[in-house]
Amino acid sequence: MLNLWMRTSALISLLVVVVMLGFLLQQSWPYWQHDGLNPLLSGDWYPYEHLFGLAAAIIGSFWAALIALAIAIPTGLAAAVMSTEILPGPWRSLMRSGMELLAGIPSVVYGLLGLWILLPLLQSNLHLLTGHNLLAAGLLLSVMVLPTIMVMTQDALCEVSSHQRDTAASLGMGWSARLWRVLLPQAWPGIRSGILLALGRALGETMAVMLVVGSMDRIPDPWYNLLAPAQTLTSRIGREIGESAFGSMHFSALMACGLLLALITITISMLAHIRSDKISVNRP
Amino acid sequence: MNTKKKITAIAAAAPQQVAAHDAGDISLHASRLSLALEGKNILRDISFSLPAQGINVLIGPSGAGKSTLLRCLNMLHTQWQGDLQIMGRDVRKWPDSEDGLRRTIGLIAQKPTLFPCSIQQNIVFGLSRKDRNHMPENRIKKVLKQAALWDEVKNRLHDQAATLSVGQQQRLCIARALMLSPNMLLLDEPTASLDPRSRQFIEASLLELSENMPVLCVTHDIEQAKRLGGKIIFMCDGRLIESGDSKLFFKHPNRIESREFLRWSVCDCS
Amino acid sequence: MNERCAKTLTIMLALPALLLPAACLLYILFKGIPALDWAMLSGSSQDAAFGSISALWPQITGSLLLMLGACLLAAPVALGGTLFYALAANIRQRKALLGIMHLLVGIPPIVYGLCGLIVLVHMLHWGISLLTGMVILAVIILPMLLMNSVNAIKRIPSEKTAAARALGLSNGQLIRRVWLPAAWPALMTGLLLGMARALSETAPILFTATVFSGVSWPDSLFSPVTSLQTHLFYLAQEGANAEAVDIAWASAVILIILVTALSFGASALRNIRMNG
Repeated sequence: MLNLWMRTSALISLLVVVVMLGFLLQQSWPYWQHDGLNPLLSGDWYPYEHLFGLAAAIIGSFWAALIALAIAIPTGLAAAVMSTEILPGPWRSLMRSGMELLAGIPSVVYGLLGLWILLPLLQSNLHLLTGHNLLAAGLLLSVMVLPTIMVMTQDALCEVSSHQRDTAASLGMGWSARLWRVLLPQAWPGIRSGILLALGRALGETMAVMLVVGSMDRIPDPWYNLLAPAQTLTSRIGREIGESAFGSMHFSALMACGLLLALITITISMLAHIRSDKISVNRP
Repeated sequence: MNTKKKITAIAAAAPQQVAAHDAGDISLHASRLSLALEGKNILRDISFSLPAQGINVLIGPSGAGKSTLLRCLNMLHTQWQGDLQIMGRDVRKWPDSEDGLRRTIGLIAQKPTLFPCSIQQNIVFGLSRKDRNHMPENRIKKVLKQAALWDEVKNRLHDQAATLSVGQQQRLCIARALMLSPNMLLLDEPTASLDPRSRQFIEASLLELSENMPVLCVTHDIEQAKRLGGKIIFMCDGRLIESGDSKLFFKHPNRIESREFLRWSVCDCS
Repeated sequence: MNERCAKTLTIMLALPALLLPAACLLYILFKGIPALDWAMLSGSSQDAAFGSISALWPQITGSLLLMLGACLLAAPVALGGTLFYALAANIRQRKALLGIMHLLVGIPPIVYGLCGLIVLVHMLHWGISLLTGMVILAVIILPMLLMNSVNAIKRIPSEKTAAARALGLSNGQLIRRVWLPAAWPALMTGLLLGMARALSETAPILFTATVFSGVSWPDSLFSPVTSLQTHLFYLAQEGANAEAVDIAWASAVILIILVTALSFGASALRNIRMNG
């Protein structure tokens, strides 16, 4: 009885993965068969004319994630360093609770905040027609991935042993030398995992991005133009899945977006995971 | 070398403090050091001084506060009360802050702690970037010889430091501390977890080093204390009980705590 | 001096991380609390115009139903998987199980939604329904729960298990009399965090389980529900209707209160474990 339950559960976990990836592939198959990999390079997405190019959404996704990381990495690292290396104990846990609170806010609430605070601010300060753009999505995402980076960094810094800290101090190394030459290098594997997880989260985030990104299928033109409405993989799925008929080419193209997203994020999280595996092996 | 010069210059610039005691012979003078952590008295009214050279052994049962005392001397603990002068200079008013103070005191921990890089990089780890990049080979050779490690590592300076045995690692820690040209050396049970052969190596190099600078070595091993000789400082329960010449101490301990400690340790050995 | 500069720079860089949680929370409360009065919560759903149903009770119950269903589905599987990991699996199976869980954690929730849409809504003909939502959310929180409970079991000292084995306890007795008493706070912590997660996921149930209006209480497992998360999403976009946006802020406050209560519960349990 117990045995049956255990084995069924383990099997279910395995089946979930197989079923998910299998059906995504099966449903998106017509799409891949139709055009091969060409649509990956084309930016035109007009469902009614049967043009399904993914490039705009892919570029949009990566732009938003990059902006998010560019802001969240320095801030998150600094916050983690501040909480473990500068502030005394009680403050440390207060900052951590703050981060956990930030992490706990549902993404749709961030969307609401973005839509009603961030967009008007961007619109009036940058004199735009509409605040809906990649920059807004990136800014919003940076707040959402900040806790991941900060908490992982904090854990990694705390794991550097007190012997290492004391030894570095008794060699007369100053605070910043200890930080740069002892703490950060030794915490780096953990920090790296945190950054990769944050990247995965930023790429896969849907609700908040969907509300602020503008959902216009255009490749940014010129390539660094982040202030025009754009599209990400997730926002496209979220916006259009309701309108597409099951079995149609449109549906199949959306499934292809989903599959692509799944493959990218799986790769990223595997990289993060493999890395953290290695540390635990090497650590005595 | 450079640091030493600097310190003498500082000492000369502050005659009123030097005058407090005989600066020529005494390199460290602590008076009435006390430390309470989380409401517990770890150290109570410790006063002692170290001469300008020679070996000093700090001995006492576990939990006597020996390691804590060492950590106070180089300001890893800063909450202590009392007065501590090193090279005739108040450590609280050290000119280039605690980091400068720590560079003039080599502290070697009980557990050898190396950084995850090569042997050579470990030796020069405490130096500034410029010194690290242009460190002459013979300077490295010199400190490794002083730490009795040169013969074992001369062909593998670029290997990972973690490939060394624990005994070699501890000697590498000593070499790393010597690289900063410290004015004194503090060691916290440096041989506690080592095999007899490494212990011999370290004891020999400590005796040699003590000819040029004061060496303060914590131990709870009476045999080791006897071997090292020099001056004994006996601590028990956060207090300094007795201090004096090693031979005298082991022959005629004055205080009841000392006798007690020696008796138990003898029982341990037999 | 150099050190002080470095520290100041760090603090300056870290400031956003200090201020943002407080700022976000305060702003949401500032906007939401005024809109949140009990009359609105309890008002009948007919008196308001379409598009801004005032009473949020159906949404709250819908969210809670989805959350509870997801936990009821996921918890037994997670526990079973954990026991498999601890009792039956060899090293390769253990690695595979944890690998699969890491893989599942990495997949964005919306992809789960898509798969649910294909398999549950269209292939199994469950339609847009409560059950579909529960299953999808259950799969989303499964890896979290499983990894958490594996860690909880790992943290039980192996001497304890060995002693129990030496007394001749069977697997069942071992689980009931040694593991569960030792690990329950950690298991409950994980469950509460899973609940919080299920409560805040929006994208996967947006097109598989929920409708905007017209439902106050689902008739069966196979009828659609409304939920706080998706309601908030729809209302947020009603830019022309100030009342709708007010209600969106109010929903956000309710959602945050629910989620925060769950995570506070979790950290309280964590403290029990530390003290005990």
